[in-house]
Amino acid sequence: MPVLRALGVVVVALAALALAACDRESAKSFSFVAGSENTVLQPIVEAFCKQRNTTCTFSYEGSLDIGLALQSADGVAADAVWPASSVWIDLFDTGRKVKDLTSIAQMPVILGVRKSKAEELGWIGKDVLMADILAAVQQKRLSFLMTSATQSNSGASAYLAMLSSALGGKTVIEPGDLDDSTVRGTVQALLQGVTRSSGSSGWLADLYVEAAKSGSGYDAMWNYEAVLKETNDKLKPLNQEPLYAIYPADGVAVADSPLGFIDRGTGPETEKFFTELVAYLQSAEVQKQIAATGRRLPFSSDAIAATPEPDWNFDPTRIVTAIRLPEPAVIRQALDLYQVALRKPSLSALCLDFSGSMQGEGEQQLQAAMRFLLTPEQASQVLVQWSPEDRIIVLPFDGRVRSGFEATGDAEAQAALLAEVANEQADGGTDMYSCAADALTRIAAAPDRDDHLPAILILTDGRSEGDALGFLEQWRRIEPHVPVFGITFGDADKTQLDTLAAATSARVFDGRGDLAGAFRAARGYN
Amino acid sequence: MAISRRAFGLGLLGLGVAGTGGYLALRDRPELQGLLGNRTELFGFIGGEKEAFLADPDVARVVDGYGLELDVRVAGSVEMVREPALLSQNPQFLWPSSSIMVDMARQNGIKIRRDDVVLNSPIVVYTWGPVVAGLIKTGLVTSTMEGIQQLDLKALLDAILEGADWSALGVDALYGRSRIVSTDPSRSNSGFMFAGLVLSLLSGDVPNATALTEFGDKAQAIFRNMGLKSSSSGKLFEQYLAGGLGAAPMIVGYENQLVEWILADPQRWARIQASTSAHPAVLYPRPTVFSAHPLITIDPAADRLLEALTTPKLQELAWTRHGFRGPLGTVTGSVESAVGGLLPAEISSVLPMPAADVMLSLVSKVSA
Repeated sequence: MPVLRALGVVVVALAALALAACDRESAKSFSFVAGSENTVLQPIVEAFCKQRNTTCTFSYEGSLDIGLALQSADGVAADAVWPASSVWIDLFDTGRKVKDLTSIAQMPVILGVRKSKAEELGWIGKDVLMADILAAVQQKRLSFLMTSATQSNSGASAYLAMLSSALGGKTVIEPGDLDDSTVRGTVQALLQGVTRSSGSSGWLADLYVEAAKSGSGYDAMWNYEAVLKETNDKLKPLNQEPLYAIYPADGVAVADSPLGFIDRGTGPETEKFFTELVAYLQSAEVQKQIAATGRRLPFSSDAIAATPEPDWNFDPTRIVTAIRLPEPAVIRQALDLYQVALRKPSLSALCLDFSGSMQGEGEQQLQAAMRFLLTPEQASQVLVQWSPEDRIIVLPFDGRVRSGFEATGDAEAQAALLAEVANEQADGGTDMYSCAADALTRIAAAPDRDDHLPAILILTDGRSEGDALGFLEQWRRIEPHVPVFGITFGDADKTQLDTLAAATSARVFDGRGDLAGAFRAARGYN
Repeated sequence: MAISRRAFGLGLLGLGVAGTGGYLALRDRPELQGLLGNRTELFGFIGGEKEAFLADPDVARVVDGYGLELDVRVAGSVEMVREPALLSQNPQFLWPSSSIMVDMARQNGIKIRRDDVVLNSPIVVYTWGPVVAGLIKTGLVTSTMEGIQQLDLKALLDAILEGADWSALGVDALYGRSRIVSTDPSRSNSGFMFAGLVLSLLSGDVPNATALTEFGDKAQAIFRNMGLKSSSSGKLFEQYLAGGLGAAPMIVGYENQLVEWILADPQRWARIQASTSAHPAVLYPRPTVFSAHPLITIDPAADRLLEALTTPKLQELAWTRHGFRGPLGTVTGSVESAVGGLLPAEISSVLPMPAADVMLSLVSKVSA
């Protein structure tokens, strides 16, 4: 039928025109919220954005933050989420906001051990089991950095691998297994090995490198295989020994680095950009670039994978035994258990600025943040609740330290502490250094501080009298060193807190937008 | 594609189409309804495994020829026949992945006009070369004359229930306990079908309520062993490919999933075949169950879709491009044309699924 054929031609021509028009319509901007481990992939994504003339923005957040944002009514303020593992989406995306979730790479979470330490432990070229790691921790021959299991995926992964191993060869953690006292005891003992924690895997790796540089290095670090490669690539030019990769033979958790689209109604070109980005990331050329970062890709045999580096036991084509992740309800239960019972307890001193400049709104926000932090029902929503083993010191200050309140993380003790704080009223000058010094003295005097992770947390809204010199002198004399975290508020002079944080291997959080959120983030580091 | 359809309409207008005689000749030809401008929009829910089939431009062209414009949304088979939030959207058709869903739809008061099985796909097991090699050694896998690998699923389930290590099954590349993972049976059809198959194998017969009482605990143990279960067959298959031998040693899926994946990029498949990394492998459980894909029409307009889908043209595209078998489990078009030699022409040993009420009790049992 000639008429039909002619019709077909017209249709094809028109469709082609329409398509060409379509191609010119590219998204003007596109935003990502990603896990810190993806920082290294940003340039690869940016190359695509540039091709498309699209302005791409990236913000980096912990897995829990991404999960909580997905769960919130407002949703995620980005066009794409890229957490370390799809587990956090399974746990929190109850409203199914994430579309077209695609795994970009696989990253086992393993233990990197300073090579001389690995030699000393006899672990070079050997199959190491979680039980061997436990023995080394118990003999005080090994300690490690590990992110908070409730705030960050790498910590959660290491923790779940510890639980799986403690169950003794069961395929998966089932409801009820977490009540087993032997399992709890084993994992609690393993977690005594934690010497520093954090809410971010990337920050933890930086901490390792900085400490190695300054000569006060750490023994080991739980992190992604790819982040260990990144870390070793930084250590090499510093003439520092590498972290030797230990793949616990009884199984590790593997993160799947999923990229998912969030439809915020910004039009079809936004989704098209996403679809094409995924195709770009899966193209052979780009796969090679991604693999070069130490990430594992599907079928990444010889041709694609990064070159093995036997000097630190790295081989991305070696099969790792993966643990099977439990059901979401069991994961949630395991994370609560970590927070309230199994993690190494914290010994936290909170210096709270009650100077005159805090009067009014500042004071109200501080009181509200304390109510959040010291009310178990609220804190547990975001997995930063205290455990009865924790020690909390609260030091309200102005131009001097007013008085100190000490309590355990027991619910009643928290309530009593909160009542004390509620009586405080803003007035007077500002001297955070004298508060920090008082906090340090109290931590040093704590009887069971070796079994606790110590930290000082200073909240301030202004410029402090005094200076850091005297405090830092005192700080150097007290081992193990206590990190001094800061939370800025109002028109705080960030440089003063930055100086303390940098000198003590800590970091500063911005509390101006969301003070309770800043306290929560800071808790993830302690 | 909405654009090309609009373009199509413009094309018709511009040429001032056929005269009255032509119109009369076309009117009774359903496949040419599209030419008459008799466009009907149809809204319905489909299982995710059929998304690529309907999105295939050649398939879309035939459907378009029937004057149909499809607005399909992906939903789990189980939820599409009983979830009020989905049913309240007044779908004109449902295309789940199991015949049992027809019974369940009826029980839920859905006014069914027609329900015909359009496609079939057997439940298979996806694994990796080194696992197959091990299972051949221990006799769990045997090869047929055509070179198709069959799995003694009952023996595998028994081994898993006993807590056998991979090494006991001849698989030395993997550490720890053997395991098989399916999707969540309460949300996705392949897991749902697998649950039925597991109970049938454990009880040695098509199970009834008594068998559920007797063997339900064992079935539950198999599913508890899986841990975190994916909500859709497509997601699980992607996790299998992305995770590889270490993270995803053995999963349950549909026969057509690997076919579709291979045909989506034949060169990638050739590269994998030539590479040293572990190759994906498909095992046919013996016996297995068929996942039938019945099209349930609710609105009279959807009947035309049923006609379109059962034409030889679409049946052939279903097999050669997407690996779906026809209503009777047989193939339309050349056996070789899908993926030469990978799939058997016929599935020899197929069990019926347990009745709908048994399945519902089974699903709540294994999800507990």
